Amino acid sequence: MLERIIRWMPQLLNGARTTIIITIISVSIGLVLAVFLALGKMSKHKILSAPCSAYIFFFRGTPLLMQIYFIYFGLPQLSPALTIRSAFVAALIAYVLNTAAYLAENIRAGIQSIDKGQFEAAKALGLTYGQTMRLVIIPQTVRRLIPPVGNEFIMVLKDVSLVAIIGLTDLTKVTRAISSSSATALVYIPAMILYLIITAFFTFIFNKLENKYSVYQ
Amino acid sequence: MKKRILSAALAAMMATAMLSGCGSSSSTASGTEETVETEGTADTQEEAAETEEGSEESSEYTLESGVLMVGMEIGYPPMEYFDEDGATPIGFDVEVATALAEVLGLELEIVDTAWDGIFAGVTTDKYDCIISSVSYTEERNNNYLLSSPYVANAPVIVVPNDSDIADIMDLEGKSVAVQMETTADYLIQEYIEEGLDTDLRQYEKVINAFDEIKAGRVEAVCTDSVVASYYLGDAASEYKTVWQSEEKEPIVICMKQGNEALYEKINEGMAELFENGTMAELAVKYFGTEDVIEGLAEGFTVE
Repeated sequence: MLERIIRWMPQLLNGARTTIIITIISVSIGLVLAVFLALGKMSKHKILSAPCSAYIFFFRGTPLLMQIYFIYFGLPQLSPALTIRSAFVAALIAYVLNTAAYLAENIRAGIQSIDKGQFEAAKALGLTYGQTMRLVIIPQTVRRLIPPVGNEFIMVLKDVSLVAIIGLTDLTKVTRAISSSSATALVYIPAMILYLIITAFFTFIFNKLENKYSVYQ
Repeated sequence: MKKRILSAALAAMMATAMLSGCGSSSSTASGTEETVETEGTADTQEEAAETEEGSEESSEYTLESGVLMVGMEIGYPPMEYFDEDGATPIGFDVEVATALAEVLGLELEIVDTAWDGIFAGVTTDKYDCIISSVSYTEERNNNYLLSSPYVANAPVIVVPNDSDIADIMDLEGKSVAVQMETTADYLIQEYIEEGLDTDLRQYEKVINAFDEIKAGRVEAVCTDSVVASYYLGDAASEYKTVWQSEEKEPIVICMKQGNEALYEKINEGMAELFENGTMAELAVKYFGTEDVIEGLAEGFTVE
């Protein structure tokens, strides 16, 4: 058994690398996009809040699997100009767009959890809305956001297993390939352990971050 | 529960589908389909009646009260795919399985499953056998119990008409799409191991490989000749088959290692289908020629 695991390991690690890269890039870019979406959705101006709400509604309301499939296979058939050449880029676009919708809701909840009195105090001090957000609210929100962002990160990590449908090779796909070529489902054991190791590592990082930002509390 | 309902509905729907001729079948023989099928069904029903008398002995292997459970990846036209209603399995293998179950006096239950993992399903008794364009390979022969071939097949390379790819070696520096874990996939991997520098893209469904060539993201598709002929039939003006492997990969029925009782029964049943002309009719219906089953009947001789 151990011998087989060692034989499988290079392929598994290769798949794990793709999984980790897609997760990190998607959540990082998604987070930036999510801040704008959250602020947009909370805006008093309908012209800003309506499209942001619609965006969040759409990406949370349809399966990620369909979004990936549509971005990669659907768009080219809609118009050849919309063809995304690289499956990797198509996957990143899908995950960024999807995770941004979820993160936006987390951020909105984080911002709205800050006591209303702080907004009023900031206003009394003559701060504009932008200054209030940037200097007062967001720094306090960051710490509260770390657990839900960490949660979303772990969700994405596992959702990356969907990229197999557009021909990318992540940890799950490697596992399935090994399983069918060697006629054993036992390869799922080291694969799941790898997922747990990756999850444990990032959980540790997020815990560290949480402690670091606790100074605001 | 769903599956039970499905299987009951299947039998009825399949009969209708067969009599009316498959909607999406574009074979040249479509004019004669109706008569061919009716005859075939009548024949096999007689056979079924005969075999049922000897059902005593068959009870020792029929795994679930006279039901033959067949694993299929339904989504591989023209071998096994859903009719336009998205629920009725049709295709060459579906008809082979139906006829086989009939001559064995068994009820057919088709279990739709992903290709990826289809072999694990037979090892863990999710179904009795796989009739789903399983190409013969040595590795599969070592891990599973394979029947004798029932239709000829070989991997081919399909490219756009204006492509300058004419041979598998021309894939050097190009990209090629395959369905993952198929023999076409293994074939390209072998060439890569031997030094061919090509970008291999693996997809879960063969249709996606063709989507890719349509979108212009890959330069070639490697797939079974039986499948290529179907896709080219629809888009003959745009794509062409340029290379065919010399190593034939005939299609077999896959069973669990050690299931000798079922192996013998299936052997008997297939011999019957070859003898009564059902296989020849299906070959003509789907591939327009009997060449694809030529000489294969000998594999199913019963002592």
